[in-house]
Amino acid sequence: MIAIEGLTKTYGSEIAVDNVSMVVEGGALTVIVGASGAGKSTLMRMVNRLVEPTSGRVLIDGEDAAGLPVHELRRRIGYVIQNHGLFPHRTVAQNIATVPTLLGWDRRRIAARVEELLQLFQLDPTTFAGRHPHELSGGQQQRVGVARALAAEPKLLLMDEPFGALDPLVRAKAQDDLKAIQRQLSTTIILVTHDMEEATRLGDRIAVMDGGKLIQYAPPAEILVHPATPFVAALIGVGDRPFRLLSLETVAQVVEPGEAEGKPIAADADLRDVLAELLWSRRAAAPVAGRDGRLIGRVTLARLIERAGTPT
Amino acid sequence: MADSVARTAPIARLGLDKLGVVVAALLAIGAASPFALFRANRIVAGDAKLFFEALPAPAAALFAMVVFTTAGVALSKTPARARLATAIVFVIAMAGLLAIAADHLTPPDGRFARVAPATGFWALAFAGSILFADSVVRLKLGPLARLLALALGAAAFALALWSGLWSELSILKEYANRADVFWREAGAHLVLAIGSLAAAMAIGLPLGVLIARKRGLRAPVLNTLNAIQTIPSIALFGILIGPLGWISGHVPGAAALGIHGIGAAPAFLALFLYSLLPMAANTVIGLDQAPRDVVDAADGMGMTSRQRLFSVEVPLALPVILTGVRIVLVQNIGMATIAALIGGGGFGVFVFAGLGQTAPDLILLGALPTVLLAFAAAIVLDATIELVTGARP
Repeated sequence: MIAIEGLTKTYGSEIAVDNVSMVVEGGALTVIVGASGAGKSTLMRMVNRLVEPTSGRVLIDGEDAAGLPVHELRRRIGYVIQNHGLFPHRTVAQNIATVPTLLGWDRRRIAARVEELLQLFQLDPTTFAGRHPHELSGGQQQRVGVARALAAEPKLLLMDEPFGALDPLVRAKAQDDLKAIQRQLSTTIILVTHDMEEATRLGDRIAVMDGGKLIQYAPPAEILVHPATPFVAALIGVGDRPFRLLSLETVAQVVEPGEAEGKPIAADADLRDVLAELLWSRRAAAPVAGRDGRLIGRVTLARLIERAGTPT
Repeated sequence: MADSVARTAPIARLGLDKLGVVVAALLAIGAASPFALFRANRIVAGDAKLFFEALPAPAAALFAMVVFTTAGVALSKTPARARLATAIVFVIAMAGLLAIAADHLTPPDGRFARVAPATGFWALAFAGSILFADSVVRLKLGPLARLLALALGAAAFALALWSGLWSELSILKEYANRADVFWREAGAHLVLAIGSLAAAMAIGLPLGVLIARKRGLRAPVLNTLNAIQTIPSIALFGILIGPLGWISGHVPGAAALGIHGIGAAPAFLALFLYSLLPMAANTVIGLDQAPRDVVDAADGMGMTSRQRLFSVEVPLALPVILTGVRIVLVQNIGMATIAALIGGGGFGVFVFAGLGQTAPDLILLGALPTVLLAFAAAIVLDATIELVTGARP
């Protein structure tokens, strides 16, 4: 659990982060979202003290982050940035081994960990371990960047626009992978982005920042349905609101008994994709198939429409 | 088709190699100018001999053939390998022909007679080296291949010297008269050039790191070093006489260490001072070039600033720092010649003695090794830089 208490950062007379307090639950993926200059990166960088707070404090599992030598603190916290920041003169394996090496792990343990992480991120060790970063695609670099951050098994991972440099197709895949890996390792993640779509897609909770202040901190559905201020509403985009809301739920949550015509829809598809599919195939309902392929009921357009508006 | 022909340069339209035209022109000038210079003794004015005067008839015919063929190869669009082979054959032929000219022109009892290469020979040598260097560039030889080529060239040159091929040439007669002194001064030259480089690295690299970290110090430090660079070397020697003379007289043990107002100490110090700017400036530039996000990642992962410096910033800056080392080494090898002016030794001893005696051969005995040394140092460091950068984009 990360408790941020009254964090403020000022540069001269300029206030970058203004008295922010929030609690990040252990094992949750929290997204800090806002326009550029909103103070979201500064807030995150105060957690691993890349920026020292002007006032306020950060408690990590009850321990004040300011009480530790800064290098020890950072070695316990994973850190991923937009352009990956891989060391160009080191191989993929050496990059991933950075923090374990700093921590003085023995060689065999490091090698085993590097291999494990390469497997986890679907990078074949025999092919990739010896390559240099410039020999990788953008998506591969991004995965190496995350693998490097996770190398010393940190309980907390900070990510600053980690998908910003990826093209849309690769980005969607990387987001799904991150979500899967987070569930598997139950790492606490704080992720900074300017993209509300990414925030609703990934976040267990979303913190919206504007002008250095924390405007709203809530689960995505609540942010979408009850934006705290007109600014938050604008950030969501009124036109996209119903679709974003739909994207938070899966078919399994709205399946009802009955039959329908046409190609079945997978139970774990999100409602936004289902709506698109129904509109495109001009159907009012579609059969729903479970993971094993058996039909478990149907989903109707009427039900989707009901889920897409504000709860009354 | 017609369009593309019309648009290309006139030289290319004729099917000629652009650089080859320059090489051929130099060859023509060289062949038409005196090949060797004959003098009855080492200081009288010389008698310039054209190639057919300097060489016996069969050798003159060979000369004409080699020059003509080389010009032909240089002018036409031949593959790089053929050009390289031609350049090598040409250089070997000219080296041999020079030896033949020396034998041919020296009278049987001419103990004091001197034969030296003349303008024509130097023009031909220049043409040959352009053709050689150009074909090496076109072949895109890797760093190791270039080092090997340098080693082979040096070995062949040493072998030619050792075999006595050129022993009738005036420059080698000058050498034969002072072989001991030559090697002593060669040692002194290397100590000056490389020693001052080592000292400049020892001070300049940390200084570069310091001013990369403390931005406020950057302008004053670099401006000071820059100002030192603008002082002419002779003036700098003059400036140093006072303080070094004082140290020699007042600091116990200083004189015993060889520190005097004139001699090797001020020369060493001057070369060291001139070297500081390239070392410090290249270190700063190299460190500044480390990408921001890489440095941020290094910090974020918990490297201490020392770990970041040695395992991230310095390795990334190494090619630029080595470029500084290359600049300094080549510059110092050349500038160490000036040390002789204040009794600092080095190859300059022969250059200034030669100037004093109006003995051009003696000047060459100092100048040629300096040029060859600087040339070799540049090749070695360029190859090193490439080897260091090799694994990166």
